[in-house]
Amino acid sequence: MSDIEVKVPNIGDFKNVPVIEVLVSVGDKVEIDTPLVTLESDKATMEAPSSAAGEIAEILVKVGDKVSEGAPLVRLKAAGAAAAAPAAPKAEAPKAEAPKAAPAPAPAAAASAPASSDALPAIRGGLPIPALADFSGVHASPSVRRLARELEVDLTQVKGTGEKGRITASDVKGFLVGSGAGAAAPAAAVQGGSGIPEIPAVDFSKFGPVETKPLGRIKKISGPYLHRAWLNIPHVTHTDEADITEIDAYRKELDDAAKADKKSPYRVSLLPFLMKASVKILKEFPDFNSSLAPDKASLIYKKYYNIGVAVDTPDGLVVPVVRDVDRKGIVEISKELGDISARARDGKLKPEEMQGASFTISSLGGIGGTNFTPIVNAPEVAILGVVRSKTAPVWDGEKFIPRLMLPLCLSYDHRVIDGAAAARFTRALAVTVEDVRRLVL
Amino acid sequence: MSIEIKVPDIGDFSGVPVIEIHVKPGDEVAADAPLITLESDKATMDVPAPQAGVVESVTVKLGDKVAQGSVIATFKGAGAEAPKPAPKAEAPKAEAPKAAPAPVPAPVAAPSQAPAAKAGEISAEVLVLGAGPGGYTAAFRAADLGKKVVMVERWPTLGGVCLNVGCIPSKALLHAARVISEAEEMAAHGVSFGAPAVDVDKLRGWKESVVSRLTGGLSGLAKGRKVQVVAGSGAFVDPHRLLVTAEDGSTQTIVFEQAIIAAGSEPVRLPFAPEDPRILDSTGALALESAPKRMLVIGGGIIGLEMATVYAALGTQITIVELMDQLIPGADRDLVEPLRKRMARKFENIFLKTKVAGIEATREGLVVKFEGAGAPERDVFDRILVAVGRKPNGKLIKAEAAGVAVDERGFIPVGRDQRTNVPHVFAIGDIVGQPMLAHKATHEAKVAAEVAAGHKSAFDAKTIPSVAYTDPEIAWAGLTETEAKAKGIAYGKGVFPWAASGRALSLGRDEGITKVLFDEETQRILGAGIVGPNAGDLIAEAALAIEMGADARDIGLTVHPHPTLSETLAMAAEMFEGTITDLIPPKKKKH
Repeated sequence: MSDIEVKVPNIGDFKNVPVIEVLVSVGDKVEIDTPLVTLESDKATMEAPSSAAGEIAEILVKVGDKVSEGAPLVRLKAAGAAAAAPAAPKAEAPKAEAPKAAPAPAPAAAASAPASSDALPAIRGGLPIPALADFSGVHASPSVRRLARELEVDLTQVKGTGEKGRITASDVKGFLVGSGAGAAAPAAAVQGGSGIPEIPAVDFSKFGPVETKPLGRIKKISGPYLHRAWLNIPHVTHTDEADITEIDAYRKELDDAAKADKKSPYRVSLLPFLMKASVKILKEFPDFNSSLAPDKASLIYKKYYNIGVAVDTPDGLVVPVVRDVDRKGIVEISKELGDISARARDGKLKPEEMQGASFTISSLGGIGGTNFTPIVNAPEVAILGVVRSKTAPVWDGEKFIPRLMLPLCLSYDHRVIDGAAAARFTRALAVTVEDVRRLVL
Repeated sequence: MSIEIKVPDIGDFSGVPVIEIHVKPGDEVAADAPLITLESDKATMDVPAPQAGVVESVTVKLGDKVAQGSVIATFKGAGAEAPKPAPKAEAPKAEAPKAAPAPVPAPVAAPSQAPAAKAGEISAEVLVLGAGPGGYTAAFRAADLGKKVVMVERWPTLGGVCLNVGCIPSKALLHAARVISEAEEMAAHGVSFGAPAVDVDKLRGWKESVVSRLTGGLSGLAKGRKVQVVAGSGAFVDPHRLLVTAEDGSTQTIVFEQAIIAAGSEPVRLPFAPEDPRILDSTGALALESAPKRMLVIGGGIIGLEMATVYAALGTQITIVELMDQLIPGADRDLVEPLRKRMARKFENIFLKTKVAGIEATREGLVVKFEGAGAPERDVFDRILVAVGRKPNGKLIKAEAAGVAVDERGFIPVGRDQRTNVPHVFAIGDIVGQPMLAHKATHEAKVAAEVAAGHKSAFDAKTIPSVAYTDPEIAWAGLTETEAKAKGIAYGKGVFPWAASGRALSLGRDEGITKVLFDEETQRILGAGIVGPNAGDLIAEAALAIEMGADARDIGLTVHPHPTLSETLAMAAEMFEGTITDLIPPKKKKH
């Protein structure tokens, strides 16, 4: 009596399909075609049946493992001689179970109909029929279940945000968008683990007239991103201020020249200087230009300097990215900023223009404020917030002199960055900004 | 020559969902006109037409995920206006977008598309075999979705068992039975009518007029939709052909792209029963030849008990014989008990756990041998109604010629999209499995028609309610207590006895019970069972509650009109909640 390894049969074109259920345990006696595990591909779940009869000696996979054709599932103690030819003939059956099976399994079934009729005992069981996910256990109304069918969303994978966990139509649509952008997994993880009590609903109309308007599309999408970052990252915000009297004077000169540009006038704001200065300091403090690896056991250092710039648009916050800031000058960056902010406000940014930042700056300088706590744009580890500069009396050792001071607010991921490092980073940034000449060093 | 339009460079994205489609086949579009809208992360992008042209086909659907290079549409070539048998051929192809390459080199390869109809053959985009509630619903829905539909029916009228020899005629007769027994019972409350004079011919005539009104209406609906009805028995010839043999022996061949099998079921016969006109099945019983003196009903299920109710009201002495230890096996015993009590009063005998061992047809009557504790060894009856179940017609249609698998009992296994093992052949209704109920068939029919028309649809009902239109009626939906116990499913229940319902008492009927099962953890409704007059109508609310995932409070806090029987469902929920005031709440619960 030798042991037999039962492997994943041909499951069609799928690879790395997660095991979502293990249906047997060690010691179970299984027959040929007894389902061993449930696999879930794209939109369908399928059961991988045993190719041999025997007693389960060992289970070689667990829920969550990803398997492909040929991966060992279980080890069987063979039941007598029956095990002699495990693989070949029965391998057909699972093939036919593959979800969107080919148009032509019919004749095969027909050809073997008399012989195989014993293999088709149960209605809807063990047949070469496409397996759509079973929605019978989900908390969703009939219309939502139908919508999910139309959009090919597997409701068993959707987390309901409705009352009492009910899956709503917008959950289904949101799942589609989320999974398309590959964002579903981390989002689900946060929601899954947090268990944060819901804010109780309040009937505001008790207190006065109200009106309900749907959130804009960008708000709806950015909401979960921000929430995710806020919940996942232990935030600390460090504040400092930089004397920008000199650099702002220089900026004004450039700006006047830029406005007067005959061909295509543009503007020069303080932002390009902050971007250039940030890149200089990021090079000195590479931790700030890194990301925590998904296993949280290592840091991934980025050898590129792409700066995300938070832009306020009528529809909501977007963060276009200026690439390779280390290799661009103030003029080039200024022109690029002018272009992307205009397009951001028109909603014309392309998706790839909002990806790939290694550090982000959020400037409220045009509006006001004395300081604030920006939310780190995960998976980045730090974000610089700046507010409006103001002229303040600064003691030079002998007397107060009026200087233009810019508050800096650096939020950082405390898992990666220590407070002292953040203080040093911010101070170094302030020193750089105080003397524009340092930018060329 | 058609031109394929592909998704242009959209950045680093793949698997971006299509959220809007702006064009349809036949549209003329200018260069740069938006064809579809994609939604990625934070941006939506329109995919513009790279050139002007006429849209020939749109190859994506809402929700499809695309990447750079995915084909989204085809344009007709600018030049030669191609004469097209082609576009039709696209259709089946487009329906199997996710098809994997054929896994097995098919020995008798099914043509992937329908062969063209030869002269004299009828061609159909969707063939529907059977015109019962499943069949005609499938045919009408498919027609409404733009398909050319041919429906084949072996009986002269549309409507199948349900309309002709099932649900509808039995309900007409049951109504008569109810009027008779209610009139009789009012005597005890001071209103006497005397014995009813039943004119069986007139009663039958009325029943038939109800049936013909409905079946006639169906013919009108079929015409209005241009659904072609072909009379005769259908048998598959190959995966795309059906041979129809009419009653006069003439034949016709129908060539189809897709088929929906809705061929139903028929009553099971007892192998040992002799051929004798006095032995009836449900169809014979509904024909209502006359009211015999003594009738034996073999089978204590829904059909047998309904017919027994009718004949008992017409004066026949009824004996029921049932193999299992309760009437209506499958329903909870506590729900059946009030019915059993009433029937025990109205019928001559009810023999449970009893088997009919033999039937002998003699001139004096049908001599029946019983095997069972309470039953006599033999007895003589004027009529026997055999109501021991129905069997699917899967073996009568040569499904194997189309490659469709039929199991040994005659059922055709299907998936949630109602497809059989042959993807372009669907099956619905009695022929795909239990429960054999018209309302299951009609819902499956819509799914099959929608999937055949290229829509994404599936049969996702959480419950198919069952009703016995006996007196009292018994109805249940979702989980039954019997099933919960058998499967070890934990549940809590609220039971409201109708003896505490003013409306039930004012109907002179206090035996009813409304019972609702809940999940103790989520408080959500799992199932409900009702016995009492009109239970069949009352169960619909429970079915909706199950589908919507309502919990006990949702049901109890919904204001039900007073005084109605519908209140009993809310009160059963309150019994579970402990918030009831019309009775002493069972125990516990502090809210």
